[in-house]
Amino acid sequence: MAATERGALLAAALALPGVTAAPGAAAQGAPDAAFVQFKYLDYRDWQPGGRRMRVDNPGFYAVKPLSDTLAIEGSIVYDGMSGASPLYFNALSGASGEGVRDYRTAGDVKLTKWFDRFAIGAGAAYSHERDYISRAGTLELRTWTEDRNRTYAFAFSGAADRIHTESGAAERERKYVLDFLAGVTQAVNETLIVQSNLTYSRGHGYFDDPYKLFDRRPDRRRVLAWLTRANQHFPERNGTLKVAYRYLDDSFGADSHMVEAVWHQALPGGWSVTPSLRYLTQKAAWFFRGPPIGSGLRPGEPYTADARLSAFGAFTPGIVVARDFGDGWVADVKVEFYRQKASWRAGGGGTEGLLPFSARWIQVGVGRSF
Amino acid sequence: MVPPLRTLAALLAVALTAGCAAYAPPQPWEKQYLALPAMQFDADRLDVKNVQHVYYSKEGAAGGYGVGGGGCGCN
Amino acid sequence: MRVRVPFRAMAAEHEIVVDHDDARAARTAIDAAIAEVHRIEAKFSRYRDDSVTSAIARAAGGAPLAVDEETHALLDYAATCHALSDGAFDITSGVLRRAWDFRRRPPRLPSAAEIDALRPLIGWQRVARDGRTVRLPVPGMELDFGGIGKEYAADRAAGLLVAHGVRHALVNLGGDLRAIGSQADGRPWRIGIRPPRPGPGAPAAVALVDIADAALATSGDYERFLEVDGVRYSHLLDARTGWPVRHWRSMSVVAPVAVAAGSCATIAMLLCGGAPAFLRAQGAAWLGIDAAGAVHGTLDPGAR
Repeated sequence: MAATERGALLAAALALPGVTAAPGAAAQGAPDAAFVQFKYLDYRDWQPGGRRMRVDNPGFYAVKPLSDTLAIEGSIVYDGMSGASPLYFNALSGASGEGVRDYRTAGDVKLTKWFDRFAIGAGAAYSHERDYISRAGTLELRTWTEDRNRTYAFAFSGAADRIHTESGAAERERKYVLDFLAGVTQAVNETLIVQSNLTYSRGHGYFDDPYKLFDRRPDRRRVLAWLTRANQHFPERNGTLKVAYRYLDDSFGADSHMVEAVWHQALPGGWSVTPSLRYLTQKAAWFFRGPPIGSGLRPGEPYTADARLSAFGAFTPGIVVARDFGDGWVADVKVEFYRQKASWRAGGGGTEGLLPFSARWIQVGVGRSF
Repeated sequence: MVPPLRTLAALLAVALTAGCAAYAPPQPWEKQYLALPAMQFDADRLDVKNVQHVYYSKEGAAGGYGVGGGGCGCN
Repeated sequence: MRVRVPFRAMAAEHEIVVDHDDARAARTAIDAAIAEVHRIEAKFSRYRDDSVTSAIARAAGGAPLAVDEETHALLDYAATCHALSDGAFDITSGVLRRAWDFRRRPPRLPSAAEIDALRPLIGWQRVARDGRTVRLPVPGMELDFGGIGKEYAADRAAGLLVAHGVRHALVNLGGDLRAIGSQADGRPWRIGIRPPRPGPGAPAAVALVDIADAALATSGDYERFLEVDGVRYSHLLDARTGWPVRHWRSMSVVAPVAVAAGSCATIAMLLCGGAPAFLRAQGAAWLGIDAAGAVHGTLDPGAR
């Protein structure tokens, strides 16, 4: 039967004058339109005992196509921090700076050029704090199969940081970090896309926290992160389930597992509601020592009491309400609540004596495409 | 394991199983759902930056979501 | 914003929907697209004396008639459809209308003799063509672009919209649709497929199909049919027998371009039980409703 000639009808249709197929919804190229976005993040955290930290964080992001195959994007973020740096132990009350006031300004810019079967990107980033300056450069390569159902990504970044505190705790210290990423994204079927990224980070130099008592960390760190994500769309529900899992292997020993589930529900009128839940469980760094401060401290050996490197579990429930106004304007409000507790560590073994740490952030954003 | 973790693990397992069950990469004209903004990874760059920055400053290590961006004191 | 322009051509109701920041630019693009639909109708309508179709029919039995490249391209396409359908799809079969009068009241089935009398006028393989000319060998033969022209017009109209800078549009020519991109907010265009047997209790749509940068065409016994002794005879006639096909009530096909979706749907109707294999070979996504009302196919009918 002649019908076995595969795709013959489509080939014949495309031979008609003026009949062309679209390049496909997943065409790779510069974005159609320029897009400018402003977000304001209001962050607060607290612990039992009334300690407070507050960050006000306005940020801009913009992307502009320079041609069909060339785009430039960049962002500027400003953090204004006030309040005390979080302390995790009752025993330490009052030992660290009350009324800390600091700021951070960070910006980055990236140029991406698309070719038929690959795209390359080059970027630079700069971050400035009173006591910490970071400069970084990034190179990216993405390449995809002819049907555009699979994309491979490779990226490399190098950062050079300078740490210098007025107190003299850190004097012209340096830190150098190289990051490598290899990833694959696959369209599994019409409604499912999965991505798996492997990143490897190796750094050397000053990793201490100059504001923490006795803090002394190894001068080398290797972190391997494996992140796998899947987005499944449900057309009959106008909804999308997004799940993620990340495993982190850290030479400091603060290995962690992270799982996240997000449900994006599209609603009439351009509205959408997106509840989410994230859970992280991590081990303590091998040189972490629990309270009281200084216990287990041996001269010349690494030591930290930084609760970031303790053993805990953390949940983040959150919700985003967004609206696409249909005329180029988009707006969204995000509220997330974060809580860290030693007893939430999977399988137990959380750091004893750790006070629960809570944070919440509200992020308001508006964007406009031109 | 705490109950919410069990729920999350189950959701992940369901999604991955569903994926394995139906490997049928779409044709160019079948990408209407994959093109949805909600189906993109890291579509909202500023949101990703903000949220990763928060986790970077409160948890042991970070990674997986790309490279670069510059370090910070974040203590 | 959304600009929506309904219009009438080819004896049917059509509509073009465009999402665009600039309403005037959208309107200019739509006007150009509508003009293109009218041009194709004027050129290929068998109801107009000045059309190419009428000129070819008038020259039947006479000397070869020189035709332009566009007409040749459509004839090439018709030849492919004929070959892929083993002759069931044949643009010379329009003469069967003389026996099958779907407007006649009370309805009546033609006799075998009436069909047989038309057979000498049917047969694509007898149409003589060279690079520039076409000739129908027997007086009374005619060509009917009805099975191709509307979808071709939808694709051409879409091409014009794109040339005018339109990124989000839906061209709906009497239920055969071609989508350009998605809707402006990124959601695909959601198309309802009407039930072939509407009436009280029947849903407004038997299925909802989402498309972006794709075309959806439906063929079926929707409007033009004869009902005799409780049996519905559709206007879809197998050129080889001269009789309507009854395996499918309707067939909807998603393909990259409307002309492929439309002829896939029509040929699938004509191939009856051979439709799934044919559609698989053509790489088309489909949804068919069989004579018992059951839904088949690869399109997810659940999007609702």
